[in-house]
Amino acid sequence: MSQSLRPYLQCVRSSLTAALAISNFASQTSERHNVPEIEAQTSPELILNPLTVSRNAEERVLIEPSVNSVRVSIRIKQADEIEHILVHKFTRFLQQRAESFFILRRKPIKGYDISFLITNVHVEAMLKHKLVDFIIQFMEEVDKEISEMKLFLNARARFVAESFLTPF
Amino acid sequence: MLLLDYQNVLIQSLLTERFSGAPPVSIDQVASDFDGVTFHVSTPESKTKILLSINVKCFKELVQYGAQEVLEREYGPYIVTPEPGYDFSVQVDLEDLPAEQEARDELIMKLALLKRNAMAAPFERAFDEFNKLAEEASRYTSESAPQGVKEGGEVMAIHYREEEAIYIKASYDRVTVIFSTVFREETDRIFGKVFLQEFVDARRRVVTLQNAPQVLFRNDPPLELEGVPGLQNAGEGEISYVTFVLFPRHLTPQRRYDNISHIQTFRDYFHYHIKASKAYIHTRMRKRTADFLQVLNRARPENEERERKTASGRTFRVQS
Repeated sequence: MSQSLRPYLQCVRSSLTAALAISNFASQTSERHNVPEIEAQTSPELILNPLTVSRNAEERVLIEPSVNSVRVSIRIKQADEIEHILVHKFTRFLQQRAESFFILRRKPIKGYDISFLITNVHVEAMLKHKLVDFIIQFMEEVDKEISEMKLFLNARARFVAESFLTPF
Repeated sequence: MLLLDYQNVLIQSLLTERFSGAPPVSIDQVASDFDGVTFHVSTPESKTKILLSINVKCFKELVQYGAQEVLEREYGPYIVTPEPGYDFSVQVDLEDLPAEQEARDELIMKLALLKRNAMAAPFERAFDEFNKLAEEASRYTSESAPQGVKEGGEVMAIHYREEEAIYIKASYDRVTVIFSTVFREETDRIFGKVFLQEFVDARRRVVTLQNAPQVLFRNDPPLELEGVPGLQNAGEGEISYVTFVLFPRHLTPQRRYDNISHIQTFRDYFHYHIKASKAYIHTRMRKRTADFLQVLNRARPENEERERKTASGRTFRVQS
């Protein structure tokens, strides 16, 4: 793990753990409804201050807490257009499987690549610290995966080009 | 297995089976090849007479560049009038095959290479033109050469696919082959760029590839194609022009046959590997997603609902 990654992840971990202090809260605006307040945005008093953790200009995490839900958005590093397309493909692939990921949002927030929505139901049904672990591990591995895919692509391209040109 | 074969494998295996002395049967089969080429193998008259027809999108252009002569040279006695709907037909009589196995195999191979031979005509013409120009140029110094020799011959365009074409131009010191290729998708475009960049760099990087043709690529039409009608200017980089510069050492009579076959497979080879990389990356993402799911599932507490037993092994069960 590189020198700047560790404090970055540590910071996200503690901010997220703090933000996940959420409880059941029925909607104030419509009776017998119970919606994630961060998505509904109906009562400003239920939304807490959003927090951005940035590693550099490219990589950052936005944590938006509210009384009964937290929205976490991640921007993944994209150094060039190959990485951009790989990130786009990969996040799209994950989002199409959002159903089985429970906390994954089907669409990222503008300016970010992937968003998670954690509600009080998730926190009650699952272990909170493990949920945080998941987000942290996701952030760690997604970078690794993208750069491995990029390396593979370059290696294959090189091999393919060389074997085509050899018979000449 | 990385490189593509030059012949059509289906036709090859079909004819091998027929030529092996098996009892003749009637055949009626349509086989397709790259670049929208279709073959029709049939036995219209009798079971022993196999008719092989080919349909190429750009056959008119190929004839213009001398395809008829090349095909006549290759298939001389077998040529028959083309079947309706097809461009060129050959017929083999099973009762009139060469006696030796080797000659038979050669004939099979020749027939399976029908597409290659049809497409080879403009290349052969360009190579001949190169020889002529080189000879002419050797009589002049570089300053006194007349314009025609310096500039080289006309550009031959073969529109072998809907939107893509091969352009061939002979000059006194080289033959330039330019492929125009279209990328439908953003992903293909970027992957294509990575691959093409490696084609360009391969020659510089690897010592053993010093003899390979020079490869260049760009998104706007290269200067060689100036004044060629029907060129699309790349708007968002959808079209790429890949240039192969064949030097005299590629154009010698010994290397000629193989190089023509090989360069024809470029587009299919190139696009195949883009698709294959995409497929690989897809399986990789699938695997990684499964890993992530596993991590997430660790967050769900396991329900400890095991059946409880007494020390003697009896279970508690509610009696109804």
